Amino acid sequence: MSQWKRLQENSLLLLPSVILTLALGVYPLVWVLRYMFYDYPGYGQEVFVGLDNFARLFRDQAFWASVKNTFIFAGGKLVLTVPLSLLLAVILNGKLRGRNLLRAVFFMPTVISTAVISVVFYLIFNSYNGMVNQLLMKYHIIGQPFEWLGPKHAMLTVILVATWGAIGNYMLLFLAGLQSIPKDLYESASIDGAGPVSRFRYITLPMLGPVMQVIIMLAIIAALKGYESIMVMTEGGPIGKTEVMYLYLYKLLFPMATSGTPVEQQFGYGSAVGFVTALIVGGITLIYHYMSKKMNKVY
Amino acid sequence: MNFKKVLGLGLVAVLALSTAACGGGNADKTANNKPATGNEQQTQGAEQPGEKKVLTYWTDDRHDQEYIKELIENFNSTNQDHISVELTVLSENYNQSVDIAFASNKAPDILRLKSANTEMFMKKGYLAPLDSYLTDEMKSKFDGLLMDGVNRFDGKVYSLPNSGLTLRLVYNQDLFEKAGISGPPASLQDMVDAAKKITDYGKKEGIYGFALNFKNPKSAFERSVREILSLSGYQGLGFDLKTGQFDFGPYSQVIEYFKQMHEDGSILPGAETLDIDPLRAQFAAGKIGMYLSFSTEPGVYKDQFPTTINWAGALAPTLEGKQVGTSEIVSAGTWIGINDKSANKDAAWKFMEYMYADDVLTAYHEKGFGISIVPSIAEKAKNPDTPGMEGFLVGEHDSLWPVTPNITPEGANYGDAFFKYMLDGGDLQAVVSDLNARYNDALSKAVEKGDVKVSPDPSFDPSQLKAK
Repeated sequence: MSQWKRLQENSLLLLPSVILTLALGVYPLVWVLRYMFYDYPGYGQEVFVGLDNFARLFRDQAFWASVKNTFIFAGGKLVLTVPLSLLLAVILNGKLRGRNLLRAVFFMPTVISTAVISVVFYLIFNSYNGMVNQLLMKYHIIGQPFEWLGPKHAMLTVILVATWGAIGNYMLLFLAGLQSIPKDLYESASIDGAGPVSRFRYITLPMLGPVMQVIIMLAIIAALKGYESIMVMTEGGPIGKTEVMYLYLYKLLFPMATSGTPVEQQFGYGSAVGFVTALIVGGITLIYHYMSKKMNKVY
Repeated sequence: MNFKKVLGLGLVAVLALSTAACGGGNADKTANNKPATGNEQQTQGAEQPGEKKVLTYWTDDRHDQEYIKELIENFNSTNQDHISVELTVLSENYNQSVDIAFASNKAPDILRLKSANTEMFMKKGYLAPLDSYLTDEMKSKFDGLLMDGVNRFDGKVYSLPNSGLTLRLVYNQDLFEKAGISGPPASLQDMVDAAKKITDYGKKEGIYGFALNFKNPKSAFERSVREILSLSGYQGLGFDLKTGQFDFGPYSQVIEYFKQMHEDGSILPGAETLDIDPLRAQFAAGKIGMYLSFSTEPGVYKDQFPTTINWAGALAPTLEGKQVGTSEIVSAGTWIGINDKSANKDAAWKFMEYMYADDVLTAYHEKGFGISIVPSIAEKAKNPDTPGMEGFLVGEHDSLWPVTPNITPEGANYGDAFFKYMLDGGDLQAVVSDLNARYNDALSKAVEKGDVKVSPDPSFDPSQLKAK
């Protein structure tokens, strides 16, 4: 095959991806990079405002509160999700009866719609007739309804729900990593007298390093970007206690409908918030990459 | 490794920014107030005499959909102009669906309009002015009802009124009786006391005196504080009609009483994350003593949440127990509009004419789907027989109020700011000052841009507002 023909063929094969990337990746990016310097409510003529949107962002307490909430949400979710999904993967990687069924059960939340899951959890956790409170009150563990979704505990509740939804996904990735570890390493360690804990500590964990590095990176990005279940369960409330960055951004672009007066879309300011949000998530990912370099090396 | 880093970061940036960009794609940025000029979206469907015309009609109303379907079937089978209308009932995200439809040239010919979206749709260039279609008969029928900023913008009419919503206190008569309360509260202090009595009576069984849909505080306050303030003689959205400036002072007085109910433990636990439908479900189950809402509630308890409790609607309490103003009739002034980019505008108008005929509007009122604000209809129509509707009917204490300018302030809206005070406390005067400063700043910018017009009326007297 001539080089020219090969080039033609390769270009043709690349074309769909290039078109999609340009349309769905590059064009929106350019759109945002332009509109963050404009005031634009979605109609009429956009007005160039220079850096006003960024000045507003730096004095916007609600945005910085949402950044703080995002760190709490992401931190809590990661602390629970990563160890629990690894533990589940290790257990379900062993010789356990019905392990395939259990793997499917734990993976199930990943394939169910987040909105549906969140509505179900709202029904479980709401204070006035939620199942959890009813059970706790029935057995006299609490005397009156506990405010699972109240200002003090809503963040904890949404973290628990997010963890429940994410464990199965990371468990599957850990399982793939575990199955790539050569079995003879465990056999020789056993012959040398290593117990299960030692085998986990000195074989499993180091051998999982590169996989774990990727999984944690994915988990960090997903946790920083997660807002869907929060939107359904609390809409960022009460009084902003569960407002995370991406939900804040979403509301600027798609204001939640209220019964009465209209709420305008803020595409210009929303673009500026989107840009800064992307910088924050990207920065954290970069820091993580730098700090987790050692995990990528298997000796 | 460097390449991977750059790739990873790039990916994250694209994903994050794409979220922001998704919104913008929907907007018709070239559309402004100018009517479409030849570059119409649906040119393939241009009107030809004798040709069958299929019109699409989008609505987000669910409560009246069976009746609307019936009307459309009748129109389709009887009209002599070969017009066929197809109804699509959307639920949530109606405004976004309309945006997307216009951006992708698939917008409906006819749209349901509400006070919350008419101005925005008009500014985006979605709506056709109706002035050239209005006959003298129609002009006289709607005389005095066409309001600037509601259905008329820059002198052009974009929609016509049908019904409006009244706002009332909705209360459980059984619980009031059991708690030893003689009737609905006249003042806010009475309401605080009644909520406490009901809670004391029923807390063991999960019964509480008061609730609102605080998942969205702005929505909760717009169906409660708005009503309390307008009856007390103040504009219900924090705008001072005399000065043409925002002043949340009167609003804060109402909030103090709401805060008291919260501190008393009289508000249903979990109301912080309560949506309106779960609230209604709890009310229908007899767990809530009272709340405030629109005249849609009788229909809700008839069809959506049938209930055996005895309940009624009553005028909301006022700050001092005296009705200085009138209860504001809301969502009045708009019903149906025509897509400015439709190739079948004349046919759409024929359907509109049919929908605004006296018999249709009369039946709409009598079936309880909305309370007619058109005098010629309201005078002769019978009262709806929907249980509970008698408490919501327009009376001498109801009226339309002048329009409040719609602006978007920086930072938290008044709903979130006041709800934070309700739960967390703090310096209420500081909250009011902050809101006044931010809202008036946004107002002056909007006036400067020409987005809104403000006409202070120093002689405004709420006691002079009369029911239409």
